[in-house]
Amino acid sequence: MDTYTLYAAQFLPFKEHFGPKGHNACKGCGVALAVRQVYKALEGSGANIEQAKWQIPWEESIIVNSGAIAAGSQPALLSIAKKEGALHICFDNECTGGRVDTAVMLKKLPAVASASGCDYSATACPSHPFDLVDKIRKAWDCAGSAFVHILCPCPVGWGFEAENTVKVGRKAVESRVFPLYEIAQGYYKITCEDPNPQPVEGYVKAQTRFAGWSAKKIIALKEEVNANLELLKSKTQKTL
Amino acid sequence: MISKTFKQEKVGCQLLEAGQAQPYTPGTKPQFGPVWDKTLCVRCALCYIYCPDAAISRQEDGFYDVDIKLCKGCGICHRECWFGAVSMQEVE
Repeated sequence: MDTYTLYAAQFLPFKEHFGPKGHNACKGCGVALAVRQVYKALEGSGANIEQAKWQIPWEESIIVNSGAIAAGSQPALLSIAKKEGALHICFDNECTGGRVDTAVMLKKLPAVASASGCDYSATACPSHPFDLVDKIRKAWDCAGSAFVHILCPCPVGWGFEAENTVKVGRKAVESRVFPLYEIAQGYYKITCEDPNPQPVEGYVKAQTRFAGWSAKKIIALKEEVNANLELLKSKTQKTL
Repeated sequence: MISKTFKQEKVGCQLLEAGQAQPYTPGTKPQFGPVWDKTLCVRCALCYIYCPDAAISRQEDGFYDVDIKLCKGCGICHRECWFGAVSMQEVE
């Protein structure tokens, strides 16, 4: 029980920075949920979140080289200036306009960010809020630039009921399609380890955006997910 | 009363300066809203941390309640409550 610094949501600040008077996101919006949790994590840390900048991600040098973004995904990027460098948070809802392929789903933005000089980079998902809060705080406290890639389930774009936003995010993490890990100065660490991962089919069947996928394609996705996981595990072992 | 003014924005509606967002009310009420059963609620605040609309707030007695003007009726609180304390009921 020492994975996270926080296990109870009551100890997060109750002040609302994001949408204190409401916002016009769709109901069950994963991006709105992630932004709210990020603002809660940064409350009290000294971050000037009122002055944070929203940017179009492909203008940022750290993500320019990622072909997955060029494949059609347009996530939003929040940049907050630190003493040295900046904290970049990518809110990725994989909105590719109905077309979805494995390159969009299995991109490795933290590795790209780490290779381009970020001291801390990580993946997070709002279905695991304490993990997300820890990572945002670590990213804020580290010395240089930092990058956090947050997967935000989108009920409209992915095709599921609005009440299942958190459930689908949890399925993405538990089926290892979107593993939660962090890279601190080149050292890999998987933060959400489950010895018995859920099947990828559960994640695929929960969304209508995969309705046109053949069984062969799902098997190919499964193999790629497993290969990615093995690669990630080998990297964690190397640095230890 | 918010004074409405016109301002030319960049292509793509990029807002590059901070503080341009105006208070927004999503509407009068959703069709279904969450209702808490206080005999089942353990005050774990999961509904609070999973609400995308910041509609759920802590009351003085420690329990949680919704501001129905901000709620959109997505039902995440109903789905994520471990104890079944939150039920979605039609808003009158």
